[in-house]
Amino acid sequence: MPATVALVTWFGRSLGANATTMGFLYLLAVLGLATWGGWAVGATAAAAATLCFNYFFFHPFGTLTIAEPANWVALFSFLAAATLASRLVATARAREEEAQRRRQEVEILYDLCFGLFAASQRPGALGEAAARTLRAIGAESGTLLLGTEDRREVASVIGEPPVPHEALLAQAWMARRVVKLDGEGGTVYIPLEVGGKATGVLAAEGPRASRAILESAGRLLGLAVERERLLAEAAYLQAMQESEALRTSLLRAVSHDLRTPLTAMRLEIESLGRHLQTPHAMDSLRVLSLEQERLARRIDNLLALARLEAGLAHPRPEAVPPSSIFRAARESLRLILEGRPVEVRVAPRCPDLWADPSLTLEIVVNLLENAARATPPGRPLELAASPDPEAPTRVHVEILDRGPGVPQAVQRLLAGPRELRRTGDHAAGDSAAGGLGLRIAKSFAEANGGSLALLDRPGGGTVARVTLPAAGEVGA
Amino acid sequence: MTRVTPLVLVVDDDPSIRQTLTRELSLAGYDAVAAADGVEGREVFEARQPDLVITDLAMPRADGLALLAAVRRAGDTPVIVLSVRGEEEDKVRALDLGADDYVTKPFSLRELLARARTQLRRAGAGPADEVLRFPGLEIDRARRIVVQDGREVRLTPTELAILELLASHAGRPVTLRQIIGTVWKGAPATTADTVRVHVGSLRRKLEPDPADPRYIGTEPWVGYRFLADPLE
Repeated sequence: MPATVALVTWFGRSLGANATTMGFLYLLAVLGLATWGGWAVGATAAAAATLCFNYFFFHPFGTLTIAEPANWVALFSFLAAATLASRLVATARAREEEAQRRRQEVEILYDLCFGLFAASQRPGALGEAAARTLRAIGAESGTLLLGTEDRREVASVIGEPPVPHEALLAQAWMARRVVKLDGEGGTVYIPLEVGGKATGVLAAEGPRASRAILESAGRLLGLAVERERLLAEAAYLQAMQESEALRTSLLRAVSHDLRTPLTAMRLEIESLGRHLQTPHAMDSLRVLSLEQERLARRIDNLLALARLEAGLAHPRPEAVPPSSIFRAARESLRLILEGRPVEVRVAPRCPDLWADPSLTLEIVVNLLENAARATPPGRPLELAASPDPEAPTRVHVEILDRGPGVPQAVQRLLAGPRELRRTGDHAAGDSAAGGLGLRIAKSFAEANGGSLALLDRPGGGTVARVTLPAAGEVGA
Repeated sequence: MTRVTPLVLVVDDDPSIRQTLTRELSLAGYDAVAAADGVEGREVFEARQPDLVITDLAMPRADGLALLAAVRRAGDTPVIVLSVRGEEEDKVRALDLGADDYVTKPFSLRELLARARTQLRRAGAGPADEVLRFPGLEIDRARRIVVQDGREVRLTPTELAILELLASHAGRPVTLRQIIGTVWKGAPATTADTVRVHVGSLRRKLEPDPADPRYIGTEPWVGYRFLADPLE
């Protein structure tokens, strides 16, 4: 800088230039220096040029004194103009550098963005996204942590980074801002932010990028991670749908293949009954059709249970009067109940049930059939409905018999797990005749938001009590 | 088609069911022909022009719905579908596509023959009467008067429209969608619950014991069926 001012001075003197020409020459030198070295260099050059200008070109020459007042004005005007101009030039230069830097940053982010989102989904995509981000911000190694602040896990490690610093990591996660210690070259904690929520933190080793770039890179990586998560979820849902479709078609096939022979059997039995009318044949046919009906009902029940448990069917509750369920149950069991009196009692202010009518009917049918089989012919069976005395929003539906009471094995069966698997306990299996019907009744009751209990009846026999939701308050 | 003996077409992929049904239909006084699937069923339908079609829904080649569509394109020959419990959607779809009735496997022969009789009787009947008469119930469509056991029952226009629709389909199922389509002209806000509310109040006015309906029976999953037989 002093060399430039000296060169201009020497050049001016050797040319014998006048003060006006020198003023322009000095100004040119100051502008050049400000452009090259910025505002501080420009200002110093302006001061040096002013001194030289005065010393060499203003009368009396060779001194820093000025004889004519007009020359004072000229000299200070020069100083002011040089200072101001160097300042303007320096500002313009800084702006240009800033724009250049910004452009580079945008380029970095664009490349990162393109790299992250053009990549196709495959195993290891997360690690690759993290590595790409680290490269973009000029870091060589780092750790990607995902999850929530209190339940985070290391998703990917690139290079050989040091173990992340707990406090700084937590700070980045909670405050959702880039955290770094003062000084260059340390670890920087960049939150992955999606929708105002931190979904992870990238701990990057010594990145060379501005805070703005780090923040943007964190957001981009956050979006890439979110995309991976959504893609994985979509794949999972599709797999679920496919397996549900498979279960549906399997159940359909089973139900068709089981019911077709049953239908053929039923038609044949009925057809025989129409044409073969000897007393003995009629008796056999009655038994045949009774058994056929039982088998058909079991299969219906099992398929309905399989549908419920596979989540392919859901109970459709509506208001059901207990009396209509009782009537339908007796109708379905017409053959079995022949010669058995059934007493029906519905409490005067008993509310309707809030339950799926067909499932509720099956509950009562199964329990009534069990009761009929447990009771010697001729002894009455009872069906009763009344509001639950403890909870007016529930109704007790009871099937009562005067049979031998509740065997232990049946109680155990009822308390057991929901699966219809037989245990190795053969004794229990034998004495628990009707266990399947019981299990079905229990499952259907639970599917309707209710429960089933078997109670010993005072005076001998069993009370099968189904508790179901009421459609309205008692007496409402 | 004028025939002395009505012709019934039975379409089912199970040979035993096919055989039993054709035999029993013949014994009940009908002519019966059988087909093993929808494709064959359609060929027989076109060649023989039966008076009633009884078809299974799930079949290997062209299912019952495809056959139903072909029958409906040709005219209004009554169709009874054989459906399977647990696949209520199929049954409702068949009814909405124009099937006239259904029985659920395993069904009883007696039930199927009764349904067949109802359908054949309807097919032979002329235009609907001005006054629908049932045991204990009279619906005068022109004067919009309903008399039950000698007393006039006051119904809202919606209730009357539902009753007329069900009674003019006596013995046959009417789906919720059909009710919404006819009574509400398919207004988009109408739901199954709306129909249930109106049917509930209709039953309270009409039925001696609403819990044990004499006239309007519920068909689970499907809709309703008018239970009383029309007086000749």
